[in-house]
Amino acid sequence: MLAARCARRVYVQATKRAFGTAGRVYPSKAYTDASSSGSPTAGTSGTPQDLTSEEKRVLDAALRVDQAGEVAANYIYMGQLAVLGRDRVCGPLIQEMWDQEKKHLSVMNKLQVQHNVRPTILTEVAKIAGFGLGAVTALMSKEAAMACTEAVETVIGEHYDDQLRDLNAMKTDHTSIPLLKKVIEEFRDDELEHLDAAVEHQLATCSGPCATQHNRRWRMQGRDRAV
Amino acid sequence: MAALRTQLLQLSLPLIKSHGFTREALSRSVLYLPQAHPEPLRESAVSALFGEGDDARRTLINAWLAEGRVQMRTSPSPSMKDVLCTRLRYNEPFLNLLPEAFAVLATPSSGLHLVDPVPGLMHAADVADEACVISGDATTGTMWYPRRASLAAIYGAAELHQLTSPETAYGFLEDLLNTSSKVKRSLDEVSLFASYIGKSWAGILRSRSIL
Repeated sequence: MLAARCARRVYVQATKRAFGTAGRVYPSKAYTDASSSGSPTAGTSGTPQDLTSEEKRVLDAALRVDQAGEVAANYIYMGQLAVLGRDRVCGPLIQEMWDQEKKHLSVMNKLQVQHNVRPTILTEVAKIAGFGLGAVTALMSKEAAMACTEAVETVIGEHYDDQLRDLNAMKTDHTSIPLLKKVIEEFRDDELEHLDAAVEHQLATCSGPCATQHNRRWRMQGRDRAV
Repeated sequence: MAALRTQLLQLSLPLIKSHGFTREALSRSVLYLPQAHPEPLRESAVSALFGEGDDARRTLINAWLAEGRVQMRTSPSPSMKDVLCTRLRYNEPFLNLLPEAFAVLATPSSGLHLVDPVPGLMHAADVADEACVISGDATTGTMWYPRRASLAAIYGAAELHQLTSPETAYGFLEDLLNTSSKVKRSLDEVSLFASYIGKSWAGILRSRSIL
């Protein structure tokens, strides 16, 4: 148990160094600021017209799955907060992570409109399943809720890594793609911070983190491939 | 090869008025190349470039439909009504040719000669999607589908109306759009009222410490 926690702490420190979370820039501001000032930039107002059909399919699928993932993540935190909202430790933590997911979803919605991507037809399923997963794990215990957060954020991080690799292979000169890559990098780092938060609060059970150690290592390798 | 095919399809579009959605229109497109060909393409060349038999005509019809979606961007304003009216106006010079064109699209190229509604539905759906993009529609999530489905149904009905009564098609389109927005407004109000009821019940249950 102690060894596992030490390993987690080492992993978290290494991750912090790897991602350089201090002094981070937020490329997603291009979307959140544009909404407030009403002056979209070139990268936020158009979609590349020179993509091959395969590249367009990859871009559509990536944005669709990202949007669906953010919808589900929002509802997971909503479900957790419905149960643990009054908990003095977990409540504010979950609320903080949920607020960040709300921003992610807002940006993903703008990206969906910008690139004219069909949203998933399973949006309502993602909402119901997400809320159910969040509420049920929170009802089980705080540890189960945090283990759920760890597992979910790990999978989302993997998806973002895969997408960065696919986006890096695109040959378009359109300014929206480099911006999209930066936004995805920012969101991946946010998701890692959520994972980090769950570990830091030492609420995850031994079996959850131990089980995800392999996934983490896999994700680190995947990120190295993507960047 | 692909670039030449695209170029010839573009050059075929102005020939549709005089030659219809035919293989002849495709074969004569080479006469209008910057370095004009001395004679129209042979049948074998048309088949190699655009498909055998009616498949070549389907290719031409689809290129004409795609050009129609591009022309929607010339709408005088980004309002949904103007954008769809612009698309209807694009049909006007070809109204006498459209019934046959849609019949060709609805006939499968192989297998049983049953009516295939998919190309027609896809055409209406593509017009609705393009209209949403041009008008700046920012619908997301589940509402994305009913929004486009209702617009596709409205445009499809207006286009069918246009085939039989071109003069009244624009008024018909406007009526349908107005009715649709009234229905949407009513549904939004019902949904808002339902959310108030839900919040009221949640408040009552919370005040009784049930939640």
